[in-house]
Amino acid sequence: METYVILRRNGWPTAEDLEEASVRSAAEGDRTPDDVAWIRSYVLEERDGSVGTVCVYQASSPEAIRRHASAASLPVDEIVKVAGTVIVRPDPAEVTA
Amino acid sequence: MSLLEDPRELVPQLVEREHALNELDAAFEQASAGQGRVVLVTAEAGGGKTALIERFCATRVGSARVLRGACDALFTPRPLGPIQDVALEVGPVLTDLLREATPYQVAGALFEGMQRRQPTVLVIEDVHWADKATLDVLTLLARRIATARVLIVLSYREEALEAAHPLRVMLGELSSGLAVARVRLEPLTADGVAQLADPSGVDPDGLHRVTGGNPFFVTEVLASGEQEIPPTIRDAVLARAARLTPAGRRLLEAVSIMTPHAELWLVEALSGEIDARVDECIAAGMLVSENGTVAFRHELARRALEESVTTARRLSLHRRALAALASQRLGEHGLARMAHHADAAGDRAAVLTYAPAAGAHASAVSAHREAADQYARALRYSEGLPLSDVAKLHELRSDECYLSDQADEAIDALRAAVECYRELGDSFKEGETLAGLASTLWCPGRGEEARRTARQAVDLLEQLPPGRELALAHLSLSFVLACALDDEGAWRSARRALELAERLDDPDIYCKVLYRVGRQELRKDSDRGLATIERALALAQGRGLEHLVADAYLARVEAAISAHRPDAARPALEEGLAYCQEKGNELIEHYLLADRALLELDEGRWSDAAETATRVIRRRVASTYPRTIALSVLARVRARRGDPDVLPLLAEARALAESTGELPRLAPVAVAEAEAAWLRGDPESAREATADALTLAVSAGAGDEIACLQVWRKRAGVEEPPEALAAGPYALELDGEAAAATTMWADLGRPYEAALALADIGSEAALREALETLTELGAPAAAAIVSRQLRAIGARDIPRGPRPATRQNSAGLTVREVEILALVVEGLRNREIAQRLFLSPRTVEKHVSAILRKLGARSRGEAVAEAARLALLQDA
Repeated sequence: METYVILRRNGWPTAEDLEEASVRSAAEGDRTPDDVAWIRSYVLEERDGSVGTVCVYQASSPEAIRRHASAASLPVDEIVKVAGTVIVRPDPAEVTA
Repeated sequence: MSLLEDPRELVPQLVEREHALNELDAAFEQASAGQGRVVLVTAEAGGGKTALIERFCATRVGSARVLRGACDALFTPRPLGPIQDVALEVGPVLTDLLREATPYQVAGALFEGMQRRQPTVLVIEDVHWADKATLDVLTLLARRIATARVLIVLSYREEALEAAHPLRVMLGELSSGLAVARVRLEPLTADGVAQLADPSGVDPDGLHRVTGGNPFFVTEVLASGEQEIPPTIRDAVLARAARLTPAGRRLLEAVSIMTPHAELWLVEALSGEIDARVDECIAAGMLVSENGTVAFRHELARRALEESVTTARRLSLHRRALAALASQRLGEHGLARMAHHADAAGDRAAVLTYAPAAGAHASAVSAHREAADQYARALRYSEGLPLSDVAKLHELRSDECYLSDQADEAIDALRAAVECYRELGDSFKEGETLAGLASTLWCPGRGEEARRTARQAVDLLEQLPPGRELALAHLSLSFVLACALDDEGAWRSARRALELAERLDDPDIYCKVLYRVGRQELRKDSDRGLATIERALALAQGRGLEHLVADAYLARVEAAISAHRPDAARPALEEGLAYCQEKGNELIEHYLLADRALLELDEGRWSDAAETATRVIRRRVASTYPRTIALSVLARVRARRGDPDVLPLLAEARALAESTGELPRLAPVAVAEAEAAWLRGDPESAREATADALTLAVSAGAGDEIACLQVWRKRAGVEEPPEALAAGPYALELDGEAAAATTMWADLGRPYEAALALADIGSEAALREALETLTELGAPAAAAIVSRQLRAIGARDIPRGPRPATRQNSAGLTVREVEILALVVEGLRNREIAQRLFLSPRTVEKHVSAILRKLGARSRGEAVAEAARLALLQDA
């Protein structure tokens, strides 16, 4: 498994829509644990009032990420491979969108 | 010493397995309702897989028919061993097939046998030890059970799977299906161990620490009745066995040399009177008994006991087991076991009798890796055999290695056979074997050696009276020269082979030669070539030459593709794939899949192309050609979608292609490299990548390849005159006829190429339209290049960046899904939609279930209503 960052800009009109998408995403991820593992996401407050996300996933291939996204109806703008990780501080406990 | 007093303790207590049992129950409920399921149960060795499955099966007695098979831990497992275990219950049709049949036929018979009113639970344990044929059967079966009342439960050890393990390949193929669930059993927690240890007085913390929560280890320690905790599983098992009577312990030792289970008559033959002692071992929880056989409750216990037997006693046990099995006339199914015991007993004569026979049986049921191992086993004992027999064994082994992706071993084995014939002075056989070696060398890409070897065969045989060997040598030479696009040489040898074959009374050779002539004619005259191939095909069908029939499908597909006739290619492709799957011809199946990936790429179906290419890449076959093509297709899909991990694919493809020096492999890789470089804004690399292939194409006079390579060079900014006159859209584009090329690409159903040709016109209107198409296609990298071109000519209000297609409608349907939804609304069935859109029915099925899911619809009718409500099809 490799680590990837996935940009989903302006993905959902409201935070509730995103919430529903998260449930679908997690359920789909549980179905194919060898192909994708959702690590964490940051919810973006987009300028037009919608919400987007930056997600960190581990996956067997970029295609596995797209398959997962398509099965869970998640948008994908860009998939970028992570070459390394620098952790300075742990994530703040909770960020609300 | 008394045995365990409380009979309840005979059933291993299950703790911390509620979740796993619930998963199995839920899967069973679905299966009972006609939605077949596969559940994979994984854990480390001793992790409690068997105990869990046993408990689950016990609760299903009466509500389901339970079929159980086990894979053996033999170095060379019985081919289809676990299927054989269940065959007696399934029916005589299946039993008969296990002598000689393809996995497709076995899976079909097994499937039919499971179609009953009562649901069936098929359990196959320890599939990490399964032979290749069993894995193929299970893969085919899993694909068919979606609407059957069948639950398949497979258990395996995860740690036993290295990356290239055939089971991993199978799991990868199953993972894209919806019907697969996984249950992973974790080691027990300290609390769980304490719960088990409670009545025993054993220190629970110490027990958890030493055993790491391994349920089997914990159970063995507790069953040994010792307060002191043994340091390893083996010690725990032996401590438990030490509580048996000496006679009981001897019986255990006898059973330990047989896997996965031993018939009672066989145990009796090995250790005399058995009744009381078998009961003793069962009562002590060491053995379990089923259908007239006994087996260790756990493979770890078997191994511990087997290792505790002295070498001399082990030899004698194997010798007696062999004698007992040999006297029973078990037929094919006993061969692998007899070969195993003969080898373990060091009985040369018996190995030379049973190992080749076991190899032949394994081969007959497509367990090629196991067949190769059996021939290798015989060869280890072959000193002193007549050289011609040794040569024959090498040749048999080579065939099986070739069919099980061990190309280097296949080549070495044929070389050894050549040596034998040379030493015997049999130049005919030497030449014939060299001819076979040439084709075998070509497969993994050793083109130069292949051509040299084929010439060597021809040179040797031309000095002898002409016969079938010489015909075969020319056939082989013609093939390897054709692969290097040496048309003249390939023609010369094909004609010579035909001349020889016409004089021989050997219809098989004539048919193969005729086919080769047809392939060669295709290069110049498509209609004539296809007509010859049809003649060869009719002959091949009549003579049962299945490989040639499969190859003829491939020839049709390739002829259609190179004539730019995708409409003709597709039906031949799907027919050919069905044929290959039925006949178990993985090699040609991969060639066809590689062609399908190319077609899907051409049509702009990125996900389908990626999926097909991944199927090819995941499995390895003897020839590296399909893999090279699939790697370059997947790289192009990634590059076009702007996805990462492009370069590693191209690097592997380049390495595979370069070693062959053959244009048909180098050109696709060079084009993929050029496109990827162009898309990332690196024209210099695009030029470098295409230089060698272009030189090769020019010297071979390959017009289509030249035009394609030169178009990519032109895009990368190379100014050079066209190297050859060719027809087709690339040539038009090269001649500056961008508009005509655009129309031609569009007519051929290749939207991506059409958009790039359109952009080549350079006007603002053309660029805008190209941008729109590329955005719609999900090709952001090329769209960005066109955007830049628009900005460069001063265009304004350029649509900003690609918008993913999924956001264009409120239900989040993709463009393809909207297209399929429209056909669902028209009332078409999946099969009709598949035909209409040139998709496989399975792909359509997946799209339709995605549409239903996204619309929250439970049926097609609901989906149609929802589509109307959301006005989804207004623009479609």
